[in-house]
Amino acid sequence: MIELEVRDVYKSFGGIQALNGVSFKIQGNELIGLIGPNGAGKTTLTNVLDGVYKPTGGQVWFKGQRIDGLPPYEIARRGLGRTFQVTRAFRRMTVLENMLVPAMALHATARKRDFHRKAMEVLEFLTMEHLAREYARSLSGGQQKLLELGRLLMLDPDIIILDEPFAGVHPKLMETIYEYIEVVHGQGKAFIIISHDMESIFTLSKRLLVLNFGELIADGDPNQVKRDPVVIEAYLGEEEEEEEGSVVIPPGYEVGWEEIDA
Amino acid sequence: MKAIRSTLRIDSRSIAAVVLVALLVTAPLYLRNSPYQMAVATGAFFYAIMASSWTLLAGIAGQFSFAHMAFAGIGAYTAGLLGRDLGITPLMGIILGTLLAGFIGLIIGLLCLRLKAAYLALFTIAFSELFRIALLTEFQFTEGSNGLQLSKLWEAVQGIEEYYVMLALLLGAMALMYWLVGSRIGLFLRSLREDQEAASAMGVNVVRYKVLIFVVTSLIAGLAGAVFYHVVGIVTPNTMEILQMSLVIAMAVIGGIESLLGAAIGAFLTRIGLEVLREINIFGVQIELGAWRYAAFGLLLMFTLRFAQNGLVYPIIDRLFVRPGRKDTVAKREQASSPTATEGES
Repeated sequence: MIELEVRDVYKSFGGIQALNGVSFKIQGNELIGLIGPNGAGKTTLTNVLDGVYKPTGGQVWFKGQRIDGLPPYEIARRGLGRTFQVTRAFRRMTVLENMLVPAMALHATARKRDFHRKAMEVLEFLTMEHLAREYARSLSGGQQKLLELGRLLMLDPDIIILDEPFAGVHPKLMETIYEYIEVVHGQGKAFIIISHDMESIFTLSKRLLVLNFGELIADGDPNQVKRDPVVIEAYLGEEEEEEEGSVVIPPGYEVGWEEIDA
Repeated sequence: MKAIRSTLRIDSRSIAAVVLVALLVTAPLYLRNSPYQMAVATGAFFYAIMASSWTLLAGIAGQFSFAHMAFAGIGAYTAGLLGRDLGITPLMGIILGTLLAGFIGLIIGLLCLRLKAAYLALFTIAFSELFRIALLTEFQFTEGSNGLQLSKLWEAVQGIEEYYVMLALLLGAMALMYWLVGSRIGLFLRSLREDQEAASAMGVNVVRYKVLIFVVTSLIAGLAGAVFYHVVGIVTPNTMEILQMSLVIAMAVIGGIESLLGAAIGAFLTRIGLEVLREINIFGVQIELGAWRYAAFGLLLMFTLRFAQNGLVYPIIDRLFVRPGRKDTVAKREQASSPTATEGES
């Protein structure tokens, strides 16, 4: 049973309070959307969860063990994987080598050839098998995004955090990412998806977390959350409702907001 | 067909390696009567070890250190001082010098954990200079700029034997480094060169491999330095000068900064080239180039950095032995997935 518990987590950078007492719990293979205006603390929360940052206060528990303060590689090995807002493929390594890194890191005595087949299967799923021996730097931005998703499958985590998976992505590639999320979620993995693309977030997620100024201001069913006056205010600075009473996203802000978390 | 092609490719690599090693092993037959040339080749092996092990550290693991020659100096001075003051054998001195270089490499690796790029370079320059200045200042103990005399490897050692010792060291170091790069460790080293944070998020223990590569390359440099300066018979603090370190880096860059073999061949040829250029003969006119040969070397380096960032040697190795295999694999897959190809086959 997947279980992640964030207990009253604080993170500050000098005088800036990036996370202010955030608490929530994930049980089972939930599909969660994490939204919030720029600077709300979404990426900081991700960095606390995966060990890049040590929280200033509070605790993070994963599968019954406390993980805050552990190094990122240890948290990754325990089953929490993530992608980055800006794609971070190992550019001067081939696609296949990119895929082998997490698999080899996870299995101390394995040899590279033990995972060739699995890597090729994952690449086939992502329609990238013909690129296996190309350097990652020669891939398009979208293909590099897919490669990151492929690497995650080789790590085989229980919880996958996707940071802006749809930003700047071609519609066709978006379909592939949708399919990826659905298939992998169907295999029992939990997802936390951070995105400014509201359409995708509301389509995919079954639960929505909303951060604002480092505080979790809403947590619940997406349809209820989008009618929450606090959430509407956070996004627009004032209470304003659409005809049906949902969050109104200003035109052009649906995709590609730049995260400027500290 | 695939198997045959693959076998042929492996064979061409193996044949090239065997030919190269055979040439180096049999070279003394031709150099027997020219001890000077033999000594130049022996020195070139030292630079080949230094350039290739620096390539492992900087080009493959991404740790751009300027302290590599300092580790050769640590090996040499430890062996020399222990031999002089405690009367231990050169072999024991070499072992202890190598171990001390490895131990200091461990400390430097730990201290540099959070340093990247220019900061790491500056830190290692500072370490290297500190060591050099200490050697100069404590001249009563180290002989300062006069240099520390080291005994020969063994009594009545011949130039040909020193040649083979350095060649064996080069081949051994290359074998170890190639094994390392081809193993899982090599995969992790390259991932941390590319992006430490992403590598860590993929489960790679970045700290362990960063320290490991500092230790391994320091051991190699320490061993090479301890042995080579026993061959030379003297080591001076100039060994640790930035200029010397820059020479090793330039050799690696000219050979190919991401290729162990490219860097080794680049260093070997550059070292030989610098000797050949001492005096050139153009249409019967003898010209002594002296220090100008370093200017030619500088021009070559500038040309490489501007027009051939993969080095001058590595692209040849890539074209002959690496790329054909890669292209073949991709082309085959593309062919297999192409609908026209499927129709043609059916």
